[in-house]
Amino acid sequence: MLINAVVLLGTACGGANGGAKDVKPVSTGSAIKVALLTPGPITDQSWNGGAYTGLLRIKDSLGASVSHIQTKTPAEFEENFRQYGAQGYTIVIGHGFEFQDAAKRVGPEFPKTVYITTGGNSVGPNIAALSFAFEEPSYLAGMVAAAVSKTGTVGCIGGTELPPVKSSFAAFAAGALAVNPKIKVVTAFIGNWDDASAGKEQALAQIGRGADVIFQNADAAGLGVFQAAKEGKGVWVVGSNADQNNIAPAVTLGSVLIDVPHAFMVMAREVQGGKFQPRVVRLDTKSDVVRWVPNPATPNAIPAAMRARVDSVQRLMQSGVFVMPPAAAAATPSTGAAK
Amino acid sequence: MTDALAPFVEATVRTATPLAFAALGELVAERSGVINIGLEGTIIAGAFGGLVVAGTAGAGLGFVGAVAAGMLVAAIFAFFVVTLKADHIITGTAISMLGVGSTGTLYRLYYGTTGAALETPTLAPFPIPILHSIPWIGGAFFAQPPVMYLLYVIVPCLAWCMTRTSVGLALRAVGERPEAARAAGISPARVRWVALLFCGAMGGLSGGTLVLAQVGTFNEGISAGRGFIAIAIVVLGRWSAVGVTGAALLFGAASALQYLAQAMGWGIPYQFALALPYVLTLAALAGAGKRSAAPASLGVRG
Repeated sequence: MLINAVVLLGTACGGANGGAKDVKPVSTGSAIKVALLTPGPITDQSWNGGAYTGLLRIKDSLGASVSHIQTKTPAEFEENFRQYGAQGYTIVIGHGFEFQDAAKRVGPEFPKTVYITTGGNSVGPNIAALSFAFEEPSYLAGMVAAAVSKTGTVGCIGGTELPPVKSSFAAFAAGALAVNPKIKVVTAFIGNWDDASAGKEQALAQIGRGADVIFQNADAAGLGVFQAAKEGKGVWVVGSNADQNNIAPAVTLGSVLIDVPHAFMVMAREVQGGKFQPRVVRLDTKSDVVRWVPNPATPNAIPAAMRARVDSVQRLMQSGVFVMPPAAAAATPSTGAAK
Repeated sequence: MTDALAPFVEATVRTATPLAFAALGELVAERSGVINIGLEGTIIAGAFGGLVVAGTAGAGLGFVGAVAAGMLVAAIFAFFVVTLKADHIITGTAISMLGVGSTGTLYRLYYGTTGAALETPTLAPFPIPILHSIPWIGGAFFAQPPVMYLLYVIVPCLAWCMTRTSVGLALRAVGERPEAARAAGISPARVRWVALLFCGAMGGLSGGTLVLAQVGTFNEGISAGRGFIAIAIVVLGRWSAVGVTGAALLFGAASALQYLAQAMGWGIPYQFALALPYVLTLAALAGAGKRSAAPASLGVRG
């Protein structure tokens, strides 16, 4: 808990040429240096793992030199943003809603570096935000959960109540209610993203109250939710952020996926090509960055009629005409201009 | 409500078990006059050691690996604090960081960025005949993974050892007045080394329990502050083996109540629910009276 486990990759981090005079302009059109800050360990097979995969794809596809660091506190966010700015990084990605304020504060100090945060709405001349429409596949997962549940109770377990997590759970509940107006949705938070044992206990408590489908969004702590389902009888889990269908294939209905690597590549290409535009980039079902991924190992868990219904709603989302029910829409973070 | 009671007691015992192991280890260390802030590092080392060994040799031997890893980390701490007479708090903080950081690095080296998944063998619950069918509490106390039953042996043995044997007397003498103990022919350094190795073994057992009896996998930071909570539990338990076990159960009960409160959907803001175990612990500490039971030489260098 006190630690920044630091992983440095590539050759970019020597820091020998760290002076501001060596900073290259944003639109180099050639080799770029990309840094990633994650709020948790990249071995979580979820939010942080997906981002790290994205970083490696930028390295492989664009020949970028890359660096990753794991950070925990807001003071560290700013310090690391500054470090990378001073070292002349082309792109610095703060992966999470947590990084909003740090980007707004540090961005103006290093105008030649592009700062990108995910899950929020900070914008400035060299700052952009990736906003994932995580609600859309969460809504589909809620529909599936309601159709699969035999008890009429489904659960949500999150790490902490970050706005994107909150809105995702609201959409999940809306999807479940759309299928079964009488369904009960219970929501719990673990208080951190690391304590897998507490994640398991929280899941066992929900199972004890009758929940038989649990939507988890707790990164590493969420592994405990899968374990609880494995030990239980007739309990299903919905994974999130990355494709988590392989973590516990026998008890997983599917995953609410963010294709973070795809999103990172879009932004990195844009910056490399000198076409960067400061804005909130809304990445949704239409742009194929978020999607519901049913677990191929449990094809019969979801009734065929529901699969068809989910497909048709997903098509509405793809064409951009789907309208979220008001209750879920109210919980969705604003994607307008920067605050 | 009654249908929630048995699961509540079960959650209490499950949450308390790793805390009790770690706190009993810390108890012995503190009784010898050493405050081991590095306990967090010992626990996570035990968790990782358990994972590595269990992966090839099964859950039973995994616990041996957990204990060994915990003792290794405790030995580093003891070398600095006892042999080199370094500051307890600074060394302990460093050991905590070392434990959390190095296990994270080793985990990535061993298992790559995809981790070990949930394929680690775990100890299945072993119901004790007859006892496990006692209403409400049978499942919680007598249908647990066998490692939990170790507490039934360790707690009375430790209580007896510390108060009724010459070994216990030597331990407490070193913690109260090391110079007097030395005059009586006891080597404080040797006693503290043994106490810290025991603390390491118990911390390792705590981490092993997390991985091999509960979660079935390791993740970076899985100890999640339990080492620090265990140190508070020792204070709350007023430096006695039975008291410490009771304090661990109290913390476990508060946590279980918190899980239940959220699962029942009572509408309490989750932050309040999460704060509950800590608020209750503070209240219990405040109500425990002023007279300190801490060993007189606790935390004193040398």
